[in-house]
Amino acid sequence: MRLENLAINKNGFAFDPTTGETFTLNETAIKIVELMVKGESEKSIAQKLSEEFEVSSQEAFNDVLDFKERLKLYGLIS
Amino acid sequence: MIVAVSGINDTDNPGPGIGIARSLKEADGNIKTVGLSYDIQDPGNYMDFLIDKSYILTYPTQGWEPIMNRLLHIKDSFGLDFIIPALDAELPQYIKYQKELEDFGIKTLLPSMEQFELRSKEHLQSVSETLGITYPKTVKVFNTDQLKEALKEIGFPCVVKGNYYKAYIVKSMPEALYYFSEISNEWGFPILVQEVVYGEELNVVGAADKEGESLGLVAIKKMTTTHLGKIWNGVTIKHQKLLEVAADFVRNYRWRGPFELECIVKDDEITLIEINPRFPAWVYFATGVGINLPYRVLKSAYGDDVDRRSDYESGKVMIRYTYELITDIKKVSAFATKGESDE
Repeated sequence: MRLENLAINKNGFAFDPTTGETFTLNETAIKIVELMVKGESEKSIAQKLSEEFEVSSQEAFNDVLDFKERLKLYGLIS
Repeated sequence: MIVAVSGINDTDNPGPGIGIARSLKEADGNIKTVGLSYDIQDPGNYMDFLIDKSYILTYPTQGWEPIMNRLLHIKDSFGLDFIIPALDAELPQYIKYQKELEDFGIKTLLPSMEQFELRSKEHLQSVSETLGITYPKTVKVFNTDQLKEALKEIGFPCVVKGNYYKAYIVKSMPEALYYFSEISNEWGFPILVQEVVYGEELNVVGAADKEGESLGLVAIKKMTTTHLGKIWNGVTIKHQKLLEVAADFVRNYRWRGPFELECIVKDDEITLIEINPRFPAWVYFATGVGINLPYRVLKSAYGDDVDRRSDYESGKVMIRYTYELITDIKKVSAFATKGESDE
């Protein structure tokens, strides 16, 4: 999974050392990626997001799924 | 040690010579560099902080003899131990006459003619198969009827390119016809019609000693390019499969001397676009991240032990920039009248 190799700085600038691609992540995206890399489930990630960002866990869950689709599109996860 | 480099046209379509000279000077300040130029206005002729002495040569199309005589004149008058030719058009002659040069005490480290021919688009298909990577669907054409047939087969958009030089993405028949004429007028036939491959443009620079053993590799991604597709900014990467393909290339063909592989990569699928049997213009980028290939080539040609590691870091960025050098018309006139710089 290329996602694990991303070098992400505190401002959300991500560099893929394999392909040289760069991405910009917002605060929520950084959080999701960090939790995904730790191997947390979509539900668990959504739960943590809802606690931190004042959204319902269902809304957060949908956002996590949506974000994962984006990662697939960029080839960062399979 | 006196080393001559060509390709000192450090313009918006730069040759590799200045990067080579800079790499050599940084490795060993005692190395003297000679610029081999085809144009009195080549910036390298005036960059005396990297090129110690410059000479104007006749074009390779005029044949080998005047070039050889010029090189012998350089050897007699200034000294010349080693040449790193860096332009496509002159490489076949240097390759063909490398033994003759050696007999006159001028060393090179170049591929054989068979290895040089691998770069021909006709051979890239089989090279790709040998390396376990892909090559874009390509049709060779010699006239406009064949071009139209090929365009029907491959469809738009596609790439219209010369066998060795120039490539344009075309989206329509008029565009295809225009570039077909432009490239064939300049470089002759065949013209190739090739499918467009999508993905990241990743390149590897490398070199091998005279035994065909690697002297090091560096992979990069072009971040921005000029309108001619030349790298302007780039970043080092560690694409393991791409680096393995480059190592296989050296091993399989027992490559000698410098090379560059140009590839398009999508996930793990690697498509070979070009083999350049010389250093690329961005060769100093590799030097800047610790892999000084021109110096390794020079040292290995003399049988010295050289560092062969490729332990550079990914995420190092090259930023190319423009620069104005102010000089005197006397220096231009020295080239115009004597064909060489004043010492």
